Amino acid sequence: MKKTIYLFLSLVVLGLYACDDEDTDTTTKPGTLDIEFNNTINGEGITMDTKTYTNAGKEGFIVSELKYIVSNIVLIKKDGGEVAYPVADSYFVIDENDSKRILLKDIQAGEYTKVKFGIGVDQSKYPLNGVANFIPTAEEKGMLWSWSAGYKFLKFEGTFSTETIEDEKFVMHIGTHGTTQDNYKEVTLDLPSVLTIGEDVSPSLEVEADILKVFDGTNTIELSTKSDIQVDPVNAPKIAENLTAMFEAVNISN
Amino acid sequence: MLIAFFLAGASCASSEENLSPVLEEPSSIDNNPKLVLTVPENFPELTYDTSLNAPTMKGFELGKMLFYDGRLSSDGVVSCGFCHMQDFAFTHHSHIVSHGVNGAIGTRNAPPLHNLAFLNSFNWDGVVTHLDLQPVIPITAEVEMNETFGGIIQKLKKDPEYVDMFDAAFENNKIDAENILKALSQFMIMITSSNSKFDKIEREEGAVFTDQEAAGFTLFNTHCASCHKGTLFTDQSFRNNGLPIDEKYNDIGRSRISGLPQDRYKFRVPNLRNIELTFPYMHDGRFGTLEAVLEHYTSGMVDSGTIDPLFKNDDGHLGLPLTPDEQQQIIAFLKTLTDDQLLNDSRFAEF
Ligand code: HEC
Ligand code: HEC
Repeated sequence: MKKTIYLFLSLVVLGLYACDDEDTDTTTKPGTLDIEFNNTINGEGITMDTKTYTNAGKEGFIVSELKYIVSNIVLIKKDGGEVAYPVADSYFVIDENDSKRILLKDIQAGEYTKVKFGIGVDQSKYPLNGVANFIPTAEEKGMLWSWSAGYKFLKFEGTFSTETIEDEKFVMHIGTHGTTQDNYKEVTLDLPSVLTIGEDVSPSLEVEADILKVFDGTNTIELSTKSDIQVDPVNAPKIAENLTAMFEAVNISN
Repeated sequence: MLIAFFLAGASCASSEENLSPVLEEPSSIDNNPKLVLTVPENFPELTYDTSLNAPTMKGFELGKMLFYDGRLSSDGVVSCGFCHMQDFAFTHHSHIVSHGVNGAIGTRNAPPLHNLAFLNSFNWDGVVTHLDLQPVIPITAEVEMNETFGGIIQKLKKDPEYVDMFDAAFENNKIDAENILKALSQFMIMITSSNSKFDKIEREEGAVFTDQEAAGFTLFNTHCASCHKGTLFTDQSFRNNGLPIDEKYNDIGRSRISGLPQDRYKFRVPNLRNIELTFPYMHDGRFGTLEAVLEHYTSGMVDSGTIDPLFKNDDGHLGLPLTPDEQQQIIAFLKTLTDDQLLNDSRFAEF
């Protein structure tokens, strides 16, 4: 009985796929979208390892590592219709020292006005289809938490100085831990103009991430109060919340 | 693959009913029968959702091969089965805390691997909430297998036998992290311990307790079953059972993942099936015998701040009031939880 149901379900799914392809307008074939994440401080790109920046708490800081996970990308049409990028292919590491580009393929043609994505991995929904195949990438990027089989949603490291502290290390590793701390967040951004996806266009979208918001967002984070924030039931959720206000879709070009 | 395409095409054209006749076809052609994960009559419902990873014969065989393959570790020697030995209900025999590659020493004792399909969370602190993810920890931990998934995938892809086995076990034929984890789960969820003397009594299959065991069962229900609850012998909660803190490890337990002070020194209530064989006992393997465990419950407890209220008595004494005879009776009962059938089940055996 179970077997029959299982087979039947997979059949229906396959069937839907097949039908879907036929339903979509054959004159407008799917297209691509290139999303560029541009991490900034004071409106400018970040100079790693050397330049000292200052947060609202007047703490000077130098960034040595800045990475975060972007997932579950969804494009939203004017009428609210959502087109989700296949979940299994929708996990990316944005690395200030390496790739900050996400190239999406085979997206349904159409005109979109919003983009939605997750910061981190939605561990509440395990097992998510395909999330396991993100492991090798996360591993390579140092975003896998071996001891918990979980992901670091944000990895932000460097040194900081205040009037009384000189060049001390700071570490922020934000993630979800078992069922006790869920720091996965989603953001929805308004696009600056209509995003047209289709066969004949290859648009790119620039998303700016204001890294100062990590410290000075909805919540204020001071490194002199705590400089090593990892499994932290108080500060980690605050930072996760700050991240949601960090992004802005600033430009679309074709 | 061809079949899938054919069916997909068909499902567009035809209505639901006239699809049914072809439903049985794929599995017989595949020659990869589904395995039935039977829930014993005296067990609760499964927590593992088999609809997302239905065990099949080929998937199980692949999972077993991976489980016993040292190539999942960096030194090519330490397999899952190295720390989880069938003879000891899939625990690590004789080592206090588990050893990994190059003799690296972990800080915790390997729990038995049985009835995993009924658990809500894994490890002594519950850090993992889905069985499919559990192997990520030992595979990538330096003190255990010290490998990477990228590395394993490369090794497996070079082995024609594995190429064939993944091909047979999974529809997308891929050697990837997801299929490695799914195969390991298919192997592990089939390991059910449900044929101990206790089970046969509970299911009224003709077995009976001796007087000693029966007395122990009554005492167990009074003093132990509120935590070591039901047929799984755990309520799956996290508690502090009064162990003195071991300075060497200072393992804070559940607090490691919640960061909360009220979770310090709390550990998942372990199941007690096959307990006769899963020595040494407790998260750090500090007790070698059941006698030592019972002595702890009677007179060895300390309050490290979060001790379970159940162990606090009005007179200030910490622990359960059990005479030496009663302790022996409880131990006699605990030994009725040994499941020889599982320990000798060739389906799970390395050789
Ligand atoms: C070096 C020894 C070692 C190796 C190798 C090892 N394990 Fe473990 N295993 C442990 C220890 C120790 C724990 C408990 C860890 C903890 O609680 O933090 C554990 C826990 C588990 C659990 C959780 C059981 C429960 O009741 O929560 C499962 C499942 C498991 N291991 C499966 C595997 C698999 C599959 C592999 C191979 C990929 C493997 N182990 C390799 C030592 C090992
Ligand atoms: C308040 C809850 C509670 C009660 C009551 C309780 N236990 Fe436990 N038991 C635990 C916890 C929690 C652990 C794991 C502690 C650790 O390793 O830090 C444990 C561990 C054990 C272990 C070791 C298991 C292993 O795999 O290492 C045995 C054996 C055991 N208990 C037997 C008993 C017996 C027998 C009784 C009754 C006399 C009893 N327990 C009463 C919570 C309880």
